[in-house]
Amino acid sequence: MMKMISSRRRLSAASAILMLSSAAFAGSALAEDKAAILLPGSANDQSWNALGYAIVKSLEPHGFKTAYTENVADADEAEAVRDYANQGYKIVLGHSGRFVSAMEQVAPDFPKTQFIAVSGNEGAAPNVMSIDYNNAQFGCQIGLLAAKMSKTHKVGGIYGLQGVPNITAQAGAFRLCAAKAGAEVTILYVKDMEDAAETKEAALSLIAKGADVLTGKLNAAEAGLVQAAKEKHVYVTGRGFDQTAIAPDLVLTNIVEDWPSMIGSAAEDVKAGKLFGTFVQYGYDTGKTTGASLKYSADKAYGPAVPEAVSKEVDAMAADFASGKLKVTPTDQDARSGS
Amino acid sequence: MIDFLEAAIRIATPLVFAALGGILSERAGVFAVGLEGMMLTGAFAAVIGTWLTGFSAVGIIFAMAGGGLLATVVAIVTVRHRADNMVTGLTSNILALGLTTYLMRILSGSGRPLAIHLDPIGAWPVPVLSKIPVLGPIAFNQPPLTYLAVIGCAVLSVFLFRSQWGLKLCATGENPEAVFAAGADPLNIRMTAVIGCGAIAGIAGAVLSLQQVGTFTDGMTGGRGYLALASLIVGRWNPWGAALACLGFGAAEALELRLQSLGVPLSSYVMQMAPYLIALAVLAGLGRSSRLPAAIGKPL
Repeated sequence: MMKMISSRRRLSAASAILMLSSAAFAGSALAEDKAAILLPGSANDQSWNALGYAIVKSLEPHGFKTAYTENVADADEAEAVRDYANQGYKIVLGHSGRFVSAMEQVAPDFPKTQFIAVSGNEGAAPNVMSIDYNNAQFGCQIGLLAAKMSKTHKVGGIYGLQGVPNITAQAGAFRLCAAKAGAEVTILYVKDMEDAAETKEAALSLIAKGADVLTGKLNAAEAGLVQAAKEKHVYVTGRGFDQTAIAPDLVLTNIVEDWPSMIGSAAEDVKAGKLFGTFVQYGYDTGKTTGASLKYSADKAYGPAVPEAVSKEVDAMAADFASGKLKVTPTDQDARSGS
Repeated sequence: MIDFLEAAIRIATPLVFAALGGILSERAGVFAVGLEGMMLTGAFAAVIGTWLTGFSAVGIIFAMAGGGLLATVVAIVTVRHRADNMVTGLTSNILALGLTTYLMRILSGSGRPLAIHLDPIGAWPVPVLSKIPVLGPIAFNQPPLTYLAVIGCAVLSVFLFRSQWGLKLCATGENPEAVFAAGADPLNIRMTAVIGCGAIAGIAGAVLSLQQVGTFTDGMTGGRGYLALASLIVGRWNPWGAALACLGFGAAEALELRLQSLGVPLSSYVMQMAPYLIALAVLAGLGRSSRLPAAIGKPL
């Protein structure tokens, strides 16, 4: 079912009528750029779709009027994308990688519209782009950090959805860079990125094998990962300050994603007349926005357990990514389960 | 090896409680399809109760009340209003998922889910016995709800097969007319059994949220209620049999994680199917030899 929004659009309609009745400034209102996002689920799920809503809202300071559509079913994607493009929207966002194929169908008819798949992994020239943060760069940094913090020289990562490109990038880079720094790496995949109890079991099995630094890219299940680390007193990295709060002395850092800055950066370019037809990954080498950052708390990058020598080394790796000196391209084999 | 057995027991514990509850309900003649929702409500209520009062014992009572409350709805609809057991059970599972997710957000007042981080209930080592090599850590160094699961099996066995109430309950599942003729009220017996099932399944949820994870996450039961349902069929509606089946599932999942870490050259997706394939195979193997209570699912 598609539900059109919104009080905002009704408001703007009302204001348009006001303007018409006062017969003034109609031109300037029409010139404003518009951006819309299509959400696969409900905007108030406090999770992935809520993030999508926040993303499109974050475009308002960039001078876009925004709208969104919730609960877009697979079969309706192309129609929903076309609908916004027809209405003259400058940017049409789809809040998952699966929107890419719908966008590829529709895009040739609307050469002036920029289509963006959030966290997709492919683009199509000239105006379908995917945006993600550079999972490989951050996975690699975590690999180095974990290897340096491990006393047993055994580290572990827990992920879901084996084979999905952004998972392969982060898990594979974690393995490559931790192994390069001298650690033995074990990767496990869980059935469900929301299942905290299953993830905790996976973490406990890694700890039983001797791993003393853990990481992962999970959703609600991240809580189980951190809980296992807390119980067995091993180090862990997370995805947000929620994890820092569970085990402040054991969380080393979090990979905190900054979607508004990624989408905002692309939107600025689109506004300036540039269109993208590729997969754009933001990382240390993309200038003013890095897509994500290592953060322990709002003002600190690393937890108290990380010695300065180690944090300097991890930061130096970021500098190497920024200068282009270091590149990491993990394969499915690097992201395999097991050691 | 010890680590493997400990993992199997941990994974099995919530399943055992849910299966025990399910046995109570099905023996009285009502399919326990709603176990998943009762567990989830229990997991939620346990965290809220503990968070409000600071006592996990209160949390467990909340869990029983929460699971029991959802079960009361199921009982009224299926027993009093003679609705289809399967449909009602499945609907209550969906209701529980929506309701707990929603409540978690409105309780915080901010629209974001309430951030509750509790210390999970720790192990209660039995003095002396917990020092026995191998057996000690496995059998005598467990958290309280794990011991309670074992006690629960014993109590339910005695209740069902050795007490008059239990015999009446089983008779209600087999031949409710006979129970009625004998002067008891089969409707009341079914209502009570379903609500009891909810309370016990609520403890199953508390095991997950209070003893294992220390917080509530949306849909955190992740299908465990259905696995428990399979276990009680494999265990032929016998508490000890069902517990053994749960332990089997626990062992399969623990083994799956360990095989993955050994680097068995199989897709993780294939290995994750293992526990469910085993369940299917066992259920298919039992086939005709598993005899349902004769009057199960038949409204009165």
